[in-house]
Amino acid sequence: MLEIKNLHASIAGKEILKGLNLTVREGEVHAIMGPNGAGKSTLSNVLTGHPAYTVTEGEIWFRGKNLLEMSPEVRAREGIFLSFQYPVEIPGVSMVNFMRTAVNEKRQHEGKDALKATDFLKLMREKKSLVGIDNKLTNRSVNEGFSGGEKKRNEIFQMAMLEPCLSILDETDSGLDIDALRVVAEGVNALKTPKTASIVITHYQRLLDYIVPDFVHVLADGKIVRTEGKELALELEEKGYAFLNE
Amino acid sequence: MKVDYKIPAGETRDLVFVNETNLDWHIIQEEKSVLRIHVLCLSQDDKDAKWQSSLTVEQNGTGCRTELYGMGLLHTSQQSFVHTRVIHNVGGGYSSQVFKFVLDDVAKGSFQGELKIQPDAQQTEAYQTNRNILLSRGAEMITEPQLEIYADDVKASHGATTGQLDESALFYMQQRCIDRETASKLLLQAFFDEVVSTLTDDDQREDITQRIQDIL
Ligand SMILES: Nc1ncnc2c1ncn2[C@@H]1O[C@H](COP(=O)(O)OP(=O)(O)OP(=O)(O)O)[C@@H](O)[C@H]1O
Ligand SMILES: [Mg+2]
Repeated sequence: MLEIKNLHASIAGKEILKGLNLTVREGEVHAIMGPNGAGKSTLSNVLTGHPAYTVTEGEIWFRGKNLLEMSPEVRAREGIFLSFQYPVEIPGVSMVNFMRTAVNEKRQHEGKDALKATDFLKLMREKKSLVGIDNKLTNRSVNEGFSGGEKKRNEIFQMAMLEPCLSILDETDSGLDIDALRVVAEGVNALKTPKTASIVITHYQRLLDYIVPDFVHVLADGKIVRTEGKELALELEEKGYAFLNE
Repeated sequence: MKVDYKIPAGETRDLVFVNETNLDWHIIQEEKSVLRIHVLCLSQDDKDAKWQSSLTVEQNGTGCRTELYGMGLLHTSQQSFVHTRVIHNVGGGYSSQVFKFVLDDVAKGSFQGELKIQPDAQQTEAYQTNRNILLSRGAEMITEPQLEIYADDVKASHGATTGQLDESALFYMQQRCIDRETASKLLLQAFFDEVVSTLTDDDQREDITQRIQDIL
């Protein structure tokens, strides 16, 4: 589904990703761990087409198409979803209006008709209960005044609404209390199909207790330096990243 | 033409001016009166429109409330110059001024907002904000807040910013399948909402919302 080859990317003239390779197939869950500043969020930003980053070398193929030629919104409509490490507040834009626009833009891209108002509200209700998000939140402006945990839950709600094929969760677990973590993880698992895949960026094992990865990668200094099964997360939790300096 | 106007004690006036080329009002508020003014400048077709608005409001009785709202959605070579003067002569009053401009192409705008709290006007609450978004390099906005506060027991604040559309919000929306142009429209509508939502007449509010959409 996703193939990243020798990716080099920089921001403000500084090279952050330095030859990163990663292949994600349908049905797989990949965890990416690594020290602060290693380039994990940079990878999410480059995958989603953030304009501040420049790809200087390498290729990214997504479902047979050249991702680097697509605008951010086309990547999203093609099925890439990023749960932001720091979701943005948009005062004055209501969640309902935002989501209706988003869902219908995606449907249009897929050649489907816009949802009727009643069908849209039904979809909202269904997905709200899936991720356990309160009406009080969805009746407000996008993320405005949401607590850290509420913002993360709202990201997963949006993911449920858009049903992406590749979801990238950038530290979705940070800021979530123990119950919220479980609810959010169950939501993510419920959205999983043999045709979807996830990249889960996290610093902690506990999220991976719920969302069990097929592969755990260590990203350090702009490259994937180690790839193993789920037991690697436990080892990292125990021993940290000292091995990087050996 | 200059208009002198007095609001009798305890009464409320709601004045809405849409695309007035030369607005010049001097209003005196008596005790416990309420004044709400909207100055709205937005025209799709009149590319050389030039709007000049001057509002002076004096609170001469205690317990008055003054709310001034204004918006300008300017493009091509349109111009809107706003000059407000809110004077608290006596205490226990409230005033707020909220003025918002969005300027595209080579449009020009200015907001000169004066707030004066006289020595006797203790326990006054007075606020002023002016926020502007420039959509092009050729657009220009001049902001001159002017505060003169001579009483000590007051709550007063003012803030003025001129900037561009929030890039991180635009990217966030793009990541949610929304193209940049639609995202910008949503952000600009939201930007004006603080002014438009305070229009008390439902039909008028809808009309203005529609006109904003048409121009965007
Ligand atoms: N605008 C910028 N200008 C220069 N350097 C930047 C800029 N933005 C990010 N960086 C740098 O890029 C590097 C990678 O940052 P990134 O956010 O990808 O790290 P991360 O692996 O996600 O870290 P964390 O675990 O703390 O979230 C950091 O050293 C950071 O300081
Ligand atoms: Mg990060």
